[in-house]
Amino acid sequence: MVLFLKILWYYLWIAPHILLGIILFVMAQRRLLRSFPIFFLYTAVEVLQFAVLFGIFLSDRHFGGDYERLFSGGMAVSSALRFGVVYEVFSHLFADYPALTETGKMLFRGVTILLLLACIAVAVIVPGKSIDLLMLATNTLDRTVSFLQCGLLLSVFIFSGYFALSLRSQAFGIALGLGTYASVQMATSAVLLYVGSTTNRLPNFVTMAAYHCCVLIWLWYLMMPERKPKYPSKALPEYDLEIWNQELQRMLQR
Amino acid sequence: MIATIILVLVALLALLSLLWLARGRSLAAALEHPAEHIRAVDVDAFRNLIDPDEEEFLRTSLPPAEFRRIQRERLRAAVEYVSCAAQNAAILLRLADAGRRSSDPATAQAAEKLVDNAIRIRLYASLAIPRLYLGMILPGAHISPVRVAESYEQMTRLVVLLGCLQYPTRGVSAAL
Repeated sequence: MVLFLKILWYYLWIAPHILLGIILFVMAQRRLLRSFPIFFLYTAVEVLQFAVLFGIFLSDRHFGGDYERLFSGGMAVSSALRFGVVYEVFSHLFADYPALTETGKMLFRGVTILLLLACIAVAVIVPGKSIDLLMLATNTLDRTVSFLQCGLLLSVFIFSGYFALSLRSQAFGIALGLGTYASVQMATSAVLLYVGSTTNRLPNFVTMAAYHCCVLIWLWYLMMPERKPKYPSKALPEYDLEIWNQELQRMLQR
Repeated sequence: MIATIILVLVALLALLSLLWLARGRSLAAALEHPAEHIRAVDVDAFRNLIDPDEEEFLRTSLPPAEFRRIQRERLRAAVEYVSCAAQNAAILLRLADAGRRSSDPATAQAAEKLVDNAIRIRLYASLAIPRLYLGMILPGAHISPVRVAESYEQMTRLVVLLGCLQYPTRGVSAAL
């Protein structure tokens, strides 16, 4: 590998995890642990996983199967925790709007089922190829998980946009970062499954760069003070919402 | 190969949509004077557009082709009205959202009611608009629950019932 690429590689591997460590510190300091416990756990697991993998990478065990096995196992744990993070974002979105709690739950279940069906279809149509069974399974899991998470996070943004719901800045940042990473990972894992090799540099570089961006987004939103919406100095405008509600209800019941 | 390319394109599309939606959220939050964006919508005119008696009158007094054309126009106008009301609800929701954090309990309560009303309008609008479009596709047919979409109507009723169960005491909003 060219020296520049080697330096870039190490940077993209190490820097995001240092930033994740800072995120842990910021979260603890700003008492965000109670609001986002799963995200905190996910961040901690990512840092721990990096420490173990980097340790193995530096040791002579790097060329054994230990690294691959730990990498795949760690990825499975991270993927599961990321689902927890998505659920946490959903919970934050609907917590402030009791009128939408049931609709939100229905939406979460509905979208998950639809995306799962789509994932099964993709897995059947585009099975992927690799000599290494473990890496094939890892990349397939990666693609499936990123597809699901990307769809779920997109639905959060569409839903909150449609209902004009205000998501807390931190939850918004977590969703944006994770969504960005999931969409890029979906593309790169699809390419890796097609190419059939995990040593292909370009998709790996792209994934690592996307993860770096994702961590920067998280850090930015978690460090930023919560922006409070401005309440108009004048009284709220008169508007016949109740009459419109009655008319629409009547129309729908007809 | 083609399937992989499609997957990559889907991922790129998802990424762009995500960034676009996130940008939209920031712009909407930064709206300077949201109340000025509220447009007046005539409820009586809307009532007239979806009035079944009016529809029946037009059906009996106009030739079928003419009736279908007129009915399509009427329903298109109804969609505009509902969309406009839903847009107003979104603006009010944003205003009321800030009011919920007010230290004055009366303001906070009024804002809470406004938020609920606005959310319900958005919810009903999302159900009403497809129904109006269905009416535009089939202008001659009665858009009745039994004949067109029984299951859809059942779902709609459940949503309405859910709203009534969650807010049994909510009458005409004092805030409005």
